[in-house]
Amino acid sequence: MRRLLSILASLMLLTSCVPQPKSTITVREADSPFIAFNVWVKVGSQNDPAGKEGLAALTAALLEDGSTTEDSYDAILAKLYPMAAGYGSSVDKEMTVFTGRVHRDNLDDYYTLFKNALLTPAFAEADFERIKTQTLNFLERTRRYGRDEELSKELLFSLAYRGTPYEHPEEGYVESVRSITLDDVREFYAAHYLSNNMVVGLAGGYPDGFAETVRGDFDALPQGSLTPVSASAGIVPNGVRVLIVEKSTDATAISLGFPIDLVRGESDFFPMMVFNSWFGEHRNSFSHLYQVIREARGMNYGDYSYIEAFPLGYTTQVPPVNAARRSHLFEIWIRPVSLTSPGNLHDRALFATRAAWRELDRIVTDGMSDSAVIATKQFLHNYSVNWATSVSRRLAYAMDDAFYGIRGDGFLASVRPGLASVDAAAVNAAIRRHLQDENMYAVFITADAEGLKQKLLSGVPTPITYAGQKSAEHMAEDEAIASFPIPVAPENITIIGIDEVFERK
Amino acid sequence: MKPMIGAALLLALAGSTMAQQTDGVFPFDSRLIELENGFKAYLIRAGAPGQVAYVSMVRTGSRDEVEPGKSGFAHFFEHMMFRGTDKYPDYDGVTAEMGAARNAFTSNDMTVYYLVASADYLERIIDLESDRFMNLKYAEPDFRTEAGAVLGEYQQSATTPFGFLNEKVRETAFDRHTYRHTTIGFEADVRAMPEGFAYSQSFHRRFYRPENIVLVIAGDVDFDATAALIRQYYGGWSPGYSAPDIPVEPPQRAPRRRTVQYKGRTLPVLSINYKAPAWSATNKQAVAMEVLGEVAFGSNSDIYKRLVINERKVQFLSGNFGLSRDPGLASVTAMVIDPTGVGVVERDIQQTVDRFKTEIVDETRLNDTKRNLKYGFLMGLETAQNVAFATIPYVINTGGIEAVDTYYRTLDSVTPEDVRTAARTYLIDNAKTVVTMVQAGGN
Repeated sequence: MRRLLSILASLMLLTSCVPQPKSTITVREADSPFIAFNVWVKVGSQNDPAGKEGLAALTAALLEDGSTTEDSYDAILAKLYPMAAGYGSSVDKEMTVFTGRVHRDNLDDYYTLFKNALLTPAFAEADFERIKTQTLNFLERTRRYGRDEELSKELLFSLAYRGTPYEHPEEGYVESVRSITLDDVREFYAAHYLSNNMVVGLAGGYPDGFAETVRGDFDALPQGSLTPVSASAGIVPNGVRVLIVEKSTDATAISLGFPIDLVRGESDFFPMMVFNSWFGEHRNSFSHLYQVIREARGMNYGDYSYIEAFPLGYTTQVPPVNAARRSHLFEIWIRPVSLTSPGNLHDRALFATRAAWRELDRIVTDGMSDSAVIATKQFLHNYSVNWATSVSRRLAYAMDDAFYGIRGDGFLASVRPGLASVDAAAVNAAIRRHLQDENMYAVFITADAEGLKQKLLSGVPTPITYAGQKSAEHMAEDEAIASFPIPVAPENITIIGIDEVFERK
Repeated sequence: MKPMIGAALLLALAGSTMAQQTDGVFPFDSRLIELENGFKAYLIRAGAPGQVAYVSMVRTGSRDEVEPGKSGFAHFFEHMMFRGTDKYPDYDGVTAEMGAARNAFTSNDMTVYYLVASADYLERIIDLESDRFMNLKYAEPDFRTEAGAVLGEYQQSATTPFGFLNEKVRETAFDRHTYRHTTIGFEADVRAMPEGFAYSQSFHRRFYRPENIVLVIAGDVDFDATAALIRQYYGGWSPGYSAPDIPVEPPQRAPRRRTVQYKGRTLPVLSINYKAPAWSATNKQAVAMEVLGEVAFGSNSDIYKRLVINERKVQFLSGNFGLSRDPGLASVTAMVIDPTGVGVVERDIQQTVDRFKTEIVDETRLNDTKRNLKYGFLMGLETAQNVAFATIPYVINTGGIEAVDTYYRTLDSVTPEDVRTAARTYLIDNAKTVVTMVQAGGN
C-alpha cells in the first residue's frame, strides 16, 4: 500500500506542474540531469492554404532539418553529434511542436542550436530542395507502399472530414507539395511563427532563470494577429460509406469509424475512456476486440479502438502527445487480415470487419456490465501511470492541457479521480450519446477491390475456417458473425488505385 | 513547478555517470542473485518510486532456429508464452488487473519479455512470470489459432520495401549460419506453423531453462526481500538447457552481388554488407568496428554530409555496424534519388571504405564519436524500463550486466590506429555482399 500511495503521490506531484494558460509552461524537476524542450506553435495542417496542403509540415521540417543564419546544416549536425542529442518537429491538424532533450552537461551549446533553428532559420534553397524531395518520395512511395494499416487510417480521417481544414493529411498531397516554393515557406513562417503564437515549454533540471531567458529569446520574434481557423466538425455519414483501395498485397488493411462530439476535459470523457479501454485498449490484450478477433480466432495481429486521434499507433504503446484536436473520430483499427489463408478471397477480411461491427452493435445495444466497468477502472487506474514516465512526456501532456484548457492539476492527475467517479450508468449513458453503428466510414486496402465490393454488396455470409477444432459455441457465434449485415448501396462504395491515393485533393 | 520525485531520483543517478568514468559508466546500484540451477537475476535500484520494470531475457532468438522448416519459431513461441498455465490460466486477466504495461519481442539473438507495474505487485509478478517460464501450458487448438496471428504479422511487414530487402540481403550473404533467415521466418515456415505443436513443446523444454534466461528488475526494488523471493520462486526450476548446434558460417571467398526487384514503388536502395566479428566487450577490434561504422557512415561523417546534405544524391544513408552474438553483418544502406546514379553512390561508398583503410581517423572526430556513444547510453537511462532495456545487449551477448562497464572501458581505449585496423580487417572485398533493390518494371 505504501508503494501505491507513493505512485499516487508522485503522479499528483507530476501533474501539479500546472499547465499555465500563458506563454511559458514549466515542469521543473531540479535534480534531473536532463532538460526537455517543447515549443508549441499554434499552427497546424488546418492552416495550410488551399492548393498548398503540406506547407505547415514542410515549414517545420525545414526548420528542424535546415541551416540557420549562424550554422550550415552539416555544421549543426557536427555540433549536435557529441551530445548524442537532436531536435524534432511534429505537425498535426492544429499543433506544431518542436521538441528536444539534452543532458545538462551540454545545455548551453544545445540550446543555442535549438533556439537558432526556430528563431533564425536560413531558408537555404539547398535544404528546401532536399526536404521537398524527401517529402515527395514519402508521398509517392513510402506512404503508399509502407504500412497499409497507417494509410487506411489516414484515408478514414480524410473521408470523415471531407470539405473541412482537417481533410488533408498533414504531409499534404503529391500535387500540392510539388507546388510549394521556398517563398511559400518563408511567408508561412513569417505569418505564423509569431511570439504571441508560440508557447515555450521546459522540463527537467534546467537552472534558475533559464525559463525566463528562453521566453525572452522567443519574445524577440515579432508579434502579429492571426485569424483563427474554425473548428472542423467531422461529417457523420448517412449510412455506410466505403472506400476500397486497390493494391497488390497479401493482406487487407481495415479501418472503421465516424466522428464523435467529445474531447478531453468534457464530462463524458472518462466514461468513454472506460468504454474504449474495455472495447479496444491500444495494443493491449485487454482489448475486447483483440480477444474476439485475434485471441479467439487468430485472424490478425491485433484489433483496437480509439476516441482520440492516435497517429502512428504501430510505433508506440503509449498514447500520442501533441496531437490535440478540437474534433475526434471513434475509430476501429483492424490490423491486416490475410488474403492468402485458406477460404474464399475476402471472406476473412469481411469476417473480421463483421466481427468488429457486431461487437460495436452489441455494446451499443446492451451496454457494459458493472463487472466490466469495475475491471476496466482497475486496469486504467494502474495502467495510466505508464503514460508519462519521462520528462519529455510529462511536459508534452502539460502542453496538451494548455490546448484543451484543462486547468488545475492537469489531465494526468485527473485520470484517477475521474475514473473513480465513473459507474456503469455513466458509461452506458455516454455510449448511447456518442456511439452508434449505422452510420460508418469503412476503408479497405486490398487486392481485387472489385471482388470485395461485389461480395460486400451481395451480403452473402463470409465464414472462415480454422486449422484446429473449435467448440460448438464458438462455431455458432461464427455463424452469426459471418452473416452480420453491413448494409451499403453500390453508389456508396468508391474504388481507387493505390497510386491515386492522396495524389491531389 | 514541484519536482517529480521518482523521476528526479532516477535521473540524478544517470547524471552522475560522466563524472565517474573511472568507476564505470553504469550508474546504478545493483545486485546479482545466482541460483544453483544457473538462473541469474540482476536487481537494479534505479529510482522510480513505486515502479518496477521486470525484464526476462531469453538468450534464444531466430539464431537458434537450426532445424529446417522451423524458421520464425522463436518469435512464434514468444506468442505462446502469453497463453497461461494451470495456476494462472488467464495471463492477460492477471496482468490487466495490475494495469501492467507488458509485451515481448524477438530478434536474432534474443526473446525478451517485459512487464512494468507497481512495485506493490512485485511478488505476484515474480510468481506469475516464474510460473509461466516453468509451467507454460496450452492446448493444440490454441496453438493453431495463434499461428494465424503470426501469419498476419508476417504479411503486414514482409511486403514493405525494407522487409523484402532484409530477407534478400540475409539469404544472399549467408550460406549456413541461421542469420540467413529473418526473425519472422520464411513464409512457407510461417504457414506450416500450425503443424508444429510437438516441436513447440520441445522448444520450451530445451530453451526455456534457468541457465539460458537472465532476469533484470529495475526500479524501486528492495534487494534483500526481492532476492528471497527470487530464490523462492525460481529455485525449483530444473536446469537442462541444451545449446543448439548453430552452423558456423564458412569464410566468404568472393564478393557477392545481386539485384532484387520490389513489386511496389521504391527508389533504388543499395545495401552493402561486410562480414563482421561477433560482439565483444573486450575485443578492441570488435569495438573499433562499431566506432568505424559511426565515423565512416554516421550522421557526422563526411560521406553523409556530401551525399545526403550537399549533393543530395541519396534520400538517406546509414551505417549499421552494431554487432551480433555470432559474426554477422556490418551494413551500409543508401536510398538513391536518381535511379541511374546507383553506381556513382556505390563508388563513393567504396572510396570511403578505401580511405578508412589507408588514412588515420581524425582524433577529434574519434573523440566526438566516443562522446556520442557514451551520451547516447546515458540519455537512454531515463525510466525504469529504459534502464532495464539498456542492459539487454550486454546480457544477451555475455550473460550479465558487468559487460557494460567493460565495454565502455574498451571503447575509451580505441585509438585511430584501431579504427584503421578494423577497416583493413573487415571491410574487404571478399567479405562483401552488395544487394540492390530496384522497382520491378523500372522507375
